[in-house]
Amino acid sequence: MNDPLTIAGREFRSRLITGTGKYPSFDAMRDAVVASRCELVTVAVRRIDLDDVGETITDWLPEGVMLLPNTAGCQTAEEAVRVARLARAGGLPDWIKLEIIPDPRYLLPDGEQTLRAAQELVDEGFTVLPYVFPDPVLQRKLEAVGCATVMPLAAPIGSGRGLKLRHAIEIMVEQAEVPIIVDAGIGAPSQAAECLELGANGVLVNTAIGQADDPVAMARAFALAVEAGRAAFLAGLIDESQEARPSSPITGLVTR
Amino acid sequence: MKVVCNGKDVELEPAATVSRLLAELGVEGPYALVERNGEPMERGSYDETALEEGDTLVVARPVAGG
Repeated sequence: MNDPLTIAGREFRSRLITGTGKYPSFDAMRDAVVASRCELVTVAVRRIDLDDVGETITDWLPEGVMLLPNTAGCQTAEEAVRVARLARAGGLPDWIKLEIIPDPRYLLPDGEQTLRAAQELVDEGFTVLPYVFPDPVLQRKLEAVGCATVMPLAAPIGSGRGLKLRHAIEIMVEQAEVPIIVDAGIGAPSQAAECLELGANGVLVNTAIGQADDPVAMARAFALAVEAGRAAFLAGLIDESQEARPSSPITGLVTR
Repeated sequence: MKVVCNGKDVELEPAATVSRLLAELGVEGPYALVERNGEPMERGSYDETALEEGDTLVVARPVAGG
């Protein structure tokens, strides 16, 4: 079935985006990215340690995978804009996963700063994918300034707690004008499937894969779950009922 | 000529280019990102941009992240 995820006019066959952090090795990361079948991976941008240059992640990523630089570590709009400009000027794609996080405990994003940076970056020609608390009002504002997606968190980054903010994300999906990518907090493939089942357009997963006992096998599991969740959404889930609804005929019973 | 790169003094020949600096540092590659005196540099200008005494540079690259 041809059912691509389309972001800013670009089609992706997979609805799974993966992060590249927290893997035990670059080897494991590369193999997991392949197993996940994702076509878009996030990377952070950091100063090079001149005393220990080490290896470069891009040497390990499979061919054909698009890099999505993020602004992780930025606490203000100014910092995020600076990182985005540096990344693009240096040859990375002009797509940016915008995350502005002043809160070290729960890693919750600053919506006001995110909106400000998004406006500026869109005006400069960036394709902006903002990471946000699931706030349907902020979503509308981000859409209005021209963001390519909105990426609400399911639960705090790395927590693995799943769709704790489901109701707000359902509202966002219902009113979305650009794709909703659920980002952060997904700990299990079943939770990723749940996001797709409720109509989210994709998910971004990092910790749940990178920190699994077997990242490659977990990446495969997430790929299957995302496909299953999307297929279920398209198939149309039944309405929930408070009471039971028998699946076998209630007439013509042998015993009565 | 001395420039400051990622907070450290680096000695270079006079008028060395950005590409020369990256080679000295051993960080050449498709995604060496450079900011010079607070301004991001276009990759296409690395070969032709001569650095000046006292320039402050940030050299960064993509790393693993979510």
